[in-house]
Amino acid sequence: MLSRVAESLFWMSRYFERAENTARFLDVNFNLLLDLNSITSVDHPNYWKPLIMVMSDPEHFTTLYQEYDAHSVTDYLVFNRQNSNSIVSSISMARENARSIIESISSEMWEQLNNLYHVLHSVTPQQVHNDPYSFYKEIKNASLLFQGITDNTFSHHEGWDFVQIGKYLERADNAARLVDVKYHMLMPGQQHHADLVRNSVDLIQWMAVLKSCSALEAFRKVYLSKIDPDNILRFLILDRGFPRSIAFSICAAQEALWKISGSSVHRYVNNVDRLIGKMEAGLTYTTVEDILLQGVHEYLEEIEHGLAKVGEQLHLLYFAYHTPKIEPTDISESLPFTGLAGGRANWSQSQQQQQQ
Amino acid sequence: MTRLFDLYESEPERFFDEVIARNGSPKPHYEIMMRRFNLFSTADIRARREMANIFFRNQGITFTVYGVEAGIERIFPFDLIPRIIPAPEWDIIERGLTQRITALNEFLSDIYMEQKILRDKVIPADLVLGSKHFRREFVGIRPPLGVYIHITGSDIIRDIEGRYMVLEDNLRTPSGVSYMLQNRNAMKRAFPVLFDRYTVRPVENYPQILLRTLQEISPTPKADPKVVVLTPGVYNSAYFEHSFLAQQMGVQLTEGRDLVVNNNKVYTRTTRGLQRVDVIYRRVDDDFLDPLVFRPDSMLGVAGLVNAYRKGNVTLANAIGTGVADDKVIYSFVPDIIRYYLGEEPILDNVETWLASNPKHLKHILENLETLVVKAANESGGYGMLVGPESTLEEREQFAEKIVANPRNYIAQPTISLSRHPSFYNDTEIAPCHIDLRPYVLYGKSLSIVPGGLTRVALKRGSLVVNSSQGGGSKDTWVIDI
Repeated sequence: MLSRVAESLFWMSRYFERAENTARFLDVNFNLLLDLNSITSVDHPNYWKPLIMVMSDPEHFTTLYQEYDAHSVTDYLVFNRQNSNSIVSSISMARENARSIIESISSEMWEQLNNLYHVLHSVTPQQVHNDPYSFYKEIKNASLLFQGITDNTFSHHEGWDFVQIGKYLERADNAARLVDVKYHMLMPGQQHHADLVRNSVDLIQWMAVLKSCSALEAFRKVYLSKIDPDNILRFLILDRGFPRSIAFSICAAQEALWKISGSSVHRYVNNVDRLIGKMEAGLTYTTVEDILLQGVHEYLEEIEHGLAKVGEQLHLLYFAYHTPKIEPTDISESLPFTGLAGGRANWSQSQQQQQQ
Repeated sequence: MTRLFDLYESEPERFFDEVIARNGSPKPHYEIMMRRFNLFSTADIRARREMANIFFRNQGITFTVYGVEAGIERIFPFDLIPRIIPAPEWDIIERGLTQRITALNEFLSDIYMEQKILRDKVIPADLVLGSKHFRREFVGIRPPLGVYIHITGSDIIRDIEGRYMVLEDNLRTPSGVSYMLQNRNAMKRAFPVLFDRYTVRPVENYPQILLRTLQEISPTPKADPKVVVLTPGVYNSAYFEHSFLAQQMGVQLTEGRDLVVNNNKVYTRTTRGLQRVDVIYRRVDDDFLDPLVFRPDSMLGVAGLVNAYRKGNVTLANAIGTGVADDKVIYSFVPDIIRYYLGEEPILDNVETWLASNPKHLKHILENLETLVVKAANESGGYGMLVGPESTLEEREQFAEKIVANPRNYIAQPTISLSRHPSFYNDTEIAPCHIDLRPYVLYGKSLSIVPGGLTRVALKRGSLVVNSSQGGGSKDTWVIDI
């Protein structure tokens, strides 16, 4: 498969997943505020700022808007094209990538993505404001339909594996960001544990976190109604069976990477397989007590760094045009760590050629 | 109720009408079609148009217009009424094009090898050797099978008597074949019953014939030569077609950055390393193919590609330097070229052509600008031309200056009354619109033409220009056995 095609498949999938996650967070926030309406004001910045922290960059946000209120945050995360992670931007990027490989994907995949793109361009902020539930549901369903179409119309060969990698790296990253920010908001210090759980506002908030991952029902089946933060961390980070948990996503990404390269347990053939394997093993042998001991924020930050490194190595190994060969990488020659944190992975626009 | 064709005015004394004979009755091969369309209500027509439009939109069949605003995407207008060519007429076109393309290939082979035709003074040598598209670097290099022009599309028109004539040859990278294929799909969807009433020859196997042709010209015979399509990229006006053809053939669509030349061999860059390429169906102009040889600023090409080609390690379709034979000046010599190489009389006529480089012709051109169509020799797509009868005095004066300044670059032809065909110029009403025809010729071990081609139609009322960039549309084209 052409490196360029593989790269576009990866980013198409990754941006679509990103749009879905943004829609989930916004949707749940609106619902949360309906629940809390009697207790607090809907426009309170405490309920909107975290969304920007999870999905984007507060510094950039404040250059464009005055207040962290429902209207501004929705506008920034849904419509604003200056925000490269807004839903409109993400879907445009997904479509642009798909358009450049339209002959490689199934026509049903293209139609589904193209259709969502056109729907998004006909929606007004007022419509979203009037009926956020229907709007976010449409985005989520469009993404799920796209995944279903992809699974059922697109050959499960190398290209499909790159689609899976894009989807699951993005999902793991989003889950890590979400838990990180929410934990930070709700858990100022470990000692307040008991008090906080009793605090009904926080309880509702934790339920919202679960809901945004479609995890509330699945969670209850495991932990009944014991919605306490440790169980929630355990479920969203470490659960092997729930498809939006970090462990599940990393495991799925690993499976796809190994399928491409032929790596297996105890035997990796390249650096990206080594890194993902290391993350997967870490998650397998970590308990929630270990995480609390290390500090939730520190632990999740490590996950985010790890995902970024996987993304970098994936790029060098399969996409970068100057290194087109796949050979077992010399592990002793590990690459210098290039720093990150905060920023989200993005398709490098400079790789596109402007041509006439 | 008024029927669709009741208000149709064919004006037989001024134009050749494809559907209505001079006596006012429909031609036999159009009778069923006309009866069928006359049964449709306005609502029927709207519904079928909607079906066709949805088909095109969903397929993403668009083209990009240059010049106006950067990169506007439009749906290529599609006309619902099919053009029908009876088999005996098609036979003339097929034989005529076979003869013409064979002769043009002989011509290319000659001027890049021995140049006999120049020594025999059939064509003035300076017109060939001085052409912008003559590539002296390739003199003496013989492409596989001696074929230069693997994919061509000559534009055919009919004069007022209904004679088929060639208006121009496209020997570089003719486009539009995807519309030929998709128009057929759209018609089948919108008018399934009409297809039952006619025996329409199929065009659907074009991609298979194209792939076979491309594999036949592989530099070294192999069981499964690797063919790729080379596109300038997603911003090119014909990008849809490039990806469509790659997909239909089941080959990779590549951009310049996907290819790399190593040791004079061409490879694709893949996730599993480099893979050797044998044949490139390139939709990139000569000038942009290789920044080391042609334009150094080209981002679209592949450094080293020309050397790989010269070494015979890769075949380019079409070959480099074929533009010299579809130059509008050389066009005027094609009848002589046919006689010279094949010893036959041309089956398809040329349109009468005056060369500005010939002083006598130049005088005639300048004196008759308001009745002539003047074209730049090297432009395509309807750019850089003057349609005399539709021009203003000021435009003619400006054009005259350009012609005098660079006579080699201009030719003139009489304003031809292209034949007309009923077409929807709005949602529900039809009017006679000018049309032409571009059949596609494939040339590998042998030469083949899919029956039909792209009929382009000038949907702007009265306009003679059928190019998509100038507001033209297209029709499905049926060759029928009767």
